[in-house]
Amino acid sequence: MAAPELLSDEGYRADGRRPAELRKVRARMGVFAQADGSAYIEQGNTKALAVVYGPHEMRGSRSKALPDRALVNCQYSMATFSTGERRRRPHGDRQAGELALHLKQTFEAAILTHLYPRSQIDIYVQILQADGGNYCACVNAATLAVMDAGIPMRDYVCACSAGLAEDTPLADRSPEEAAGGPRLVLALLPASGQIALLQLSARLHQERLEAALEAAGQACRALHAVLDRVVRDRLREVTALLGD
Amino acid sequence: MLRTEKVLQLRGQQGRSVRVVREHYLRPDVPCRSALCRAACPRDGKLLSDDVTHYVVPDCKVVQDYLEILEFPELKGIIFMQTACQAVQHQKGRRQYNKLRNLVKDARHDCIVFANEFHQHSYLPREKGESMDKWQTRSIYNAAVWYYNHCLGQMPVVMVTEDEDAIRQYGNETEGVFVISFKNYLDNFWPDLKAAHELFDSILQTRRERESESQENNGKEYPEHLPVEILEAGIKSGRYIQGTLNVNKHRAQVEAFVRLQGFGSKETELQSDILIYGARARNRAIHGDVVAVELLPLQEWKGRTVALCENETEDKALADTSGDPMPTGKVVGIIQKNWRDYVVTFPSKEENQSQGRNAQKVLVTPWDYRIPKIRISTQQAEALQEYRVVVRIDSWESTSVYPNGHFVRVLGKIGDLEGEIAAILVENSICVAPFSEIQMSEMPTSSSKNPWKVNPEEEKKRLDLRDTHLIFSIDPKGCEDVDDALSVRTLPNGNLELGVHIADVTHFVAANSYTDVEARARATTYYLADRRYDMLPSVLSADICSLLSGVDRYAVSVLWELEKESYEMLRVCYNKTIIRSAYKLVYEAAQGLLDGDTNVVDDIPELKNLDERTKQKKLSDLVWAISKLTDIARHVRAKRDSCGALELEGVEIRVQLDDKNNIHDLIPKQPLEVHETVAECMILANHWVAKKISEHFPHQALLRQHPPPRQEFFTELRECASAKGFSIDTRSNKALAESLDKANDPLDPIVNKLLRSMATHAMSNAVYFSTGSCPKEEFHHYGLALEKYTHFTSPIRRYADIVVHRLLMAATLKETKGDVKDNIFSNKDLQELCRHINNRNRAAQRAQKQSTELFQCMYFKDKTPETDERCVADGVIYSIRTNGVLVFVPRYGIKGAAYMKNKEGLVIACQGDKSCEWKPGSLHRFQNKITSTTTTGESVTLSLFDHITVKILVQTSRCHADTIKLEITRNATYQTSDTEVSQKNFHVVKSDLVKQVSQSAEAAQRAQEKARVDVIDEDYQEYCQTKGASLYQLLEEIRDLALLDVSADIRT
Repeated sequence: MAAPELLSDEGYRADGRRPAELRKVRARMGVFAQADGSAYIEQGNTKALAVVYGPHEMRGSRSKALPDRALVNCQYSMATFSTGERRRRPHGDRQAGELALHLKQTFEAAILTHLYPRSQIDIYVQILQADGGNYCACVNAATLAVMDAGIPMRDYVCACSAGLAEDTPLADRSPEEAAGGPRLVLALLPASGQIALLQLSARLHQERLEAALEAAGQACRALHAVLDRVVRDRLREVTALLGD
Repeated sequence: MLRTEKVLQLRGQQGRSVRVVREHYLRPDVPCRSALCRAACPRDGKLLSDDVTHYVVPDCKVVQDYLEILEFPELKGIIFMQTACQAVQHQKGRRQYNKLRNLVKDARHDCIVFANEFHQHSYLPREKGESMDKWQTRSIYNAAVWYYNHCLGQMPVVMVTEDEDAIRQYGNETEGVFVISFKNYLDNFWPDLKAAHELFDSILQTRRERESESQENNGKEYPEHLPVEILEAGIKSGRYIQGTLNVNKHRAQVEAFVRLQGFGSKETELQSDILIYGARARNRAIHGDVVAVELLPLQEWKGRTVALCENETEDKALADTSGDPMPTGKVVGIIQKNWRDYVVTFPSKEENQSQGRNAQKVLVTPWDYRIPKIRISTQQAEALQEYRVVVRIDSWESTSVYPNGHFVRVLGKIGDLEGEIAAILVENSICVAPFSEIQMSEMPTSSSKNPWKVNPEEEKKRLDLRDTHLIFSIDPKGCEDVDDALSVRTLPNGNLELGVHIADVTHFVAANSYTDVEARARATTYYLADRRYDMLPSVLSADICSLLSGVDRYAVSVLWELEKESYEMLRVCYNKTIIRSAYKLVYEAAQGLLDGDTNVVDDIPELKNLDERTKQKKLSDLVWAISKLTDIARHVRAKRDSCGALELEGVEIRVQLDDKNNIHDLIPKQPLEVHETVAECMILANHWVAKKISEHFPHQALLRQHPPPRQEFFTELRECASAKGFSIDTRSNKALAESLDKANDPLDPIVNKLLRSMATHAMSNAVYFSTGSCPKEEFHHYGLALEKYTHFTSPIRRYADIVVHRLLMAATLKETKGDVKDNIFSNKDLQELCRHINNRNRAAQRAQKQSTELFQCMYFKDKTPETDERCVADGVIYSIRTNGVLVFVPRYGIKGAAYMKNKEGLVIACQGDKSCEWKPGSLHRFQNKITSTTTTGESVTLSLFDHITVKILVQTSRCHADTIKLEITRNATYQTSDTEVSQKNFHVVKSDLVKQVSQSAEAAQRAQEKARVDVIDEDYQEYCQTKGASLYQLLEEIRDLALLDVSADIRT
């Protein structure tokens, strides 16, 4: 059997999208009442739930408290049922730890932490179904959750991946596209165009980086539009409730 | 954009099936790419023209099978649905798919791809339980209907399919969309397109053939092997038979035999081997595998081939060449794979090109004919073309004609002496790395300045024979490793004491030490034509364990007390001793002393520099000892002869068939009686030690047995002998020996030699065994006519002797100190060890034979047979086959096949002066002769034992060892075949060979010089040791020199 091609001559990807098209995104804010903020997001078949507590006093050792800003604490986990083959990860694996660290870096850059010195903000993210782009879904869900908690941020943080089929950049890689080519993950603050995180796995020729980065940035801006709409809808909903 | 999901079952990483959900996006804006489109479809790229009568939509099957027809430029307006394209991609592979893609891209062809599965309205999800084929057909039809409607019915759409159901179901469903078969389509729309019709027919036919084939084997090259449980149960119940697969070297493609073993053979009445005919029946088993075989019904039994043939010619008319039907079976499972490292050759450049441009997979040819070609993945194929290479087989799937392997290492250039020798070693699984440091560190030190000395502690434990006994050794000239010495003296009571002293190797090689483990793995010293690989480090074999004269050495001695007149054995004892050999004699000197020839005295270094009186005194002592020994040996021998010991080893044969004889002297050796004397003493010692250890360890002693041969194997011998008017009685070893002596043609001494070699052929090999694994009646040694026998006298070069030494020590200590069971193998372990030693011995013999052949071929290779008279020799016919004869060339000791019918089908014809040439005609085979009749009526008859003149050629082969080929040139004795001339010739041959080989490579020269030394070693091995050993070595050498392997020869 011949290996499946990433992009057909007619310009379609294996799942019927065109190169620049994202997977379908659906999101909701405020799914948990007891948390300060929460959000649920679906990007294609990847489903993520983010919950935010804080800002609150330091829990555990107070010595960790930072004198000038808030501590962002991130935890990432995958549900045992999130992959096709059930696998228990009681203490998380290396990959989970790495991802949590990335999340932390991303949100330390986005949240205005200097407003809350000596306090702590907890972000818990869980993947309910994994289907590629876990990090991106986590970032997007966490953004919404942080907003839901009312914590001030510089901007939305939108994350999206991009791959390459020959010379054509493919936005928002699906898992079956993982077989070919390098992967680029970008977390962007869309309004300013600042990059919160950029990750590149596998080698990529310098000349193509620009194109891939551009595609990922485009995808992030598109995501921003979607998330923005979700936030506005939520806001309208909440104010309507308050109005009653 | 709509989002749906597809659910797939995929294979997970661990082979489990995993449920995978994939997204599938549908859109309304998939362009239809038709010029007729009135909708807002984008019109970029290639468009389907609007000046055709119809659009045609082929379904998956049609695209897969008849793409070649769709490539005709006459066919216009083709819409390939995405569903069909994907089916091609998945089922036909990249090549076919690329062909399709190129077709679509080609602007001259009026065809497009429509991505029906991504279009919102033409996509149909696969329903639960719907088969793939059905869904594909349904999708394509649905897409065709959509397309028709999309074009607003301006253009009729024809869907072609091979699915009858679809034609019935959809044929009339929609107006304007027709569903017909491809044949119908061609007939109706393109009746004039002859080429397309012809192509269609031919494709259809090949497809049908393939289908009928695949019905037989389910698309697999071989049937699957049965699971182990079924095999085990089947073998127990007798349904399957277990045995070892032996591939016929000369017909490796088709013929293999399974030698029975295990449960099966006891219950079935099958006496012979089972024939496995063809590669399919062999079912991926490789030579040497233990397999389970199922017998085929009687009517499918086949006969073995009796014609001579070469491996290269694969298809020959078999009908007239096969013999009587024999049990035939097929392999149903492999119980144990005995894959080893294989030496292979990469195909040469020319061959490689024919294998296609995909050079990453290369079919390599093993050196051993019996191993199938192996498929290797490598990028280095070109670089490795000139080399012999080692590969290993990884797997052999049932879907693959050839096994898969991988490259391991390079041995050396093809044709290079070192490379070829390395190939021989690898092929026989002989590992001869130099001894490691850790092994050497176990060795005691000894140098010329600081010779090894007796340890005073050890001295107390041992019996000191240094001053009491006159001990001497008799060996060939130049021998270094003396492992045995003899003594005889008169006891105070008037009786005689005979002593055999063997080097005490086990004292230096502790059980399970590194050296011991290494020696066990090697099992024997390997003698190749030009070199040898020692079993023990040379510090032991040539120095500390060698019983040299004038130095103290540890020994294990067997001492017998004999009655002075009748030589009756009164007592025997086995002791650890310290000895000092007085003389290291050579055979010639010993014989000289025995004959009273005083000239040889000067050759004995130990007697030099002595005053005349001591010298005379010492000399008379020595002469007395030697003559006494000879007397005793004669007596013992006579006793053994009366029991029926076989004397197959005529002195002349020994020389003639010595496998070295192209570098060895051909002058018949003076048969010296001392040879016999020494040999007889060794047999005696071996025999008594065997008695001792089997008494003390009835279940775990290592002995050597020689089972009596099967009578049916002697048939050929009897028939051949009767051709010359002799009758051979094979009922017992004694009768056989006597009748062989009688079967002597005074005019032609070679007849007797050939008969003797046939007799040895028919016999089985002597093997080591553990007494616990064999009933007592089978301990018997047929050739030597002894009820118990073992190997005790050469611990330096045989591991079996080391084991026997340990057993003997344990047995003697047991008497004094109670149980010393350390280092004694249990029956099971010992049997396993015996099997290993037997295997290694066979490998050693094979390697020796192959290296000799290698030298023979290298010798004859450079000669031009037309001009060089050394390539012409006298030959004797010793076997008749349907298309030729087997010929023995006494001058070089070569056995080979000579064809009477060549590849063009011409037969041999005789001229007036008896020279031969090829002419058209036919061959007729009778029992003892073969007649070739030409179309012109002349005829030549060759019978058994006829002398003919043959030309010796070397048949070179890139992938395998070169072989000697014989060609009949005259139907008469070679003129110069009288002994004197041939001897003269021979000396030329000898020096020539050395010269030539030395010219060819410097390395070879050194090897050759060593070879001379080794010849002496060979002598040593043959003559100074037990007669038993040399007899079997000889027998096996003769056997190995035979053209065919035993399994093939015995039963023809």
